[in-house]
Amino acid sequence: MNPALQAWSLYARATKRWPALAALVPFIPVVALWWIVAAAGVFPRAFFPSPPDVVRSFADLVYKGILPEYLEDSVARLAVGAAAGMAIGIPLGLLVGLSRKAHAALWPPLLFFQAIGDIAWLPILLIWFGFGLATMTFVIVYTVLFPVVLNTVLGVRSVPVELHRAALSLGASKPRILWEVVLPGALPNIITGLRNGLGYGWRALIAAEMIVGTSGVGFLMFDARRAGSVVEIVLGMIVLGLLWYIVDAWVLAPIERATGQRWGLVTR
Amino acid sequence: MKSLAIRNLSKTYFDAYAGAHVDAVRDVSLEVPEGEFVSIVGPSGCGKTTILNMVAGFIAPSSGEILVGDHAVAGPGPDRGVVFQSFALFPWKTVLENVAFGPKMRGVGKPERERIAREFLSLAGLSHAAERYPNELSGGMQQRVGVARALANEPDVLLMDEPFASVDAQTRMTLQEELTRIWQERRSTVLFITHDVPEAVFLANRVVVLSKGRVLEEVDIPLPRPRRWDALVESDDFKALANQVLQLVRSA
Repeated sequence: MNPALQAWSLYARATKRWPALAALVPFIPVVALWWIVAAAGVFPRAFFPSPPDVVRSFADLVYKGILPEYLEDSVARLAVGAAAGMAIGIPLGLLVGLSRKAHAALWPPLLFFQAIGDIAWLPILLIWFGFGLATMTFVIVYTVLFPVVLNTVLGVRSVPVELHRAALSLGASKPRILWEVVLPGALPNIITGLRNGLGYGWRALIAAEMIVGTSGVGFLMFDARRAGSVVEIVLGMIVLGLLWYIVDAWVLAPIERATGQRWGLVTR
Repeated sequence: MKSLAIRNLSKTYFDAYAGAHVDAVRDVSLEVPEGEFVSIVGPSGCGKTTILNMVAGFIAPSSGEILVGDHAVAGPGPDRGVVFQSFALFPWKTVLENVAFGPKMRGVGKPERERIAREFLSLAGLSHAAERYPNELSGGMQQRVGVARALANEPDVLLMDEPFASVDAQTRMTLQEELTRIWQERRSTVLFITHDVPEAVFLANRVVVLSKGRVLEEVDIPLPRPRRWDALVESDDFKALANQVLQLVRSA
């Protein structure tokens, strides 16, 4: 066997035993390249910090309690936005997906308002609500809402008519069909909507925090710019990526594995 | 079990592409006495699935009347169990939960409906698959679940819409033999739709040949039961009846 193949099979076995390894290993070349460029001194260190600088800054901000606090603020805002977005988005999506009248009335405005991106609302929101929590909450709920609604509608419509018919001829009432057939049938799409919504929402939140913020990861990064601290900006960027990876791998992916994938509705 | 009566049933569609009205079913009358197995056979587009969809209550007739016992059909209901060509199992429910679905909708408690479901799974030879999800089963096994699910709800009439059309030929023969066995045990009133002439003859007491939305002819099938393929393929009676029906279908 040639060495490359041997190394690959070793890697495959190792990642099977320690799945976290599969998430970390792909970053080795990225960090290595970063480190080499920083160590080569091509750019001034204040403009282009090296990995140890960022780790030091991370330890410093954790020690001072700033990073945990800001991170908590951002995550809490995302959670509130996600919860509110789902609480409004899923019922609205079910209504629009099931009722022809609701679809006729609501679909055009949904498309219209979807196009007015989160950030495009900021100018008017700042006038209405000022620089505060209300503005940020509006932005994130708004951003989460549309992908959830549109994907829920898609999911409701993707449930085969035969399943409705089967349930009806087994004696199911309309409300039972909603619970037993429509909702589980639409679930893979609802999760896709949630994944998109949270992804967009997370980005919109960081942007809103930069402009509106008094706390949060976005504020941390923008504040660091004012202080000229590139290392904190880089740290903020890494935190953003890391946090999303955790949300995806620990929350969304397990839900998908337990539902749509298990039922054979989505391919693995 | 009850009888099924179809009286002067018609269905006219408006075909938006052709821009014209299409008579899918024209003045069809048909009796399925209690406990009888009737097959409707005909080429694609002869209206056989439209008839089944009207009997099931999925689409409304343009005119005519459908009676289950002495009760007129208006919309879908649990008195008519349906087995679909596409199986139509709920992918998010296990095999057991699928079969228990009808009793669950009737308000039967969990232990009792699971007992019922296990009974019908055993009738369909599927006891070992109770905890699996439909997507983990072969097509033939999925349709066994479809039949068990319809029967577990104790319908007055069983409607089957080309149920074995999408399984392989060997499995199809096995399923047909199992269906005749189950029918003999339970004496359900069955309306079975197919385009497969040997299948229609093998299963039924009576075969109705449909052509262009009309009943062309009804052929009685007095073959003895239990029916098994290895015996019937050699039988002159079976060959003669299948040939008679085939000629009718081809002339249609």
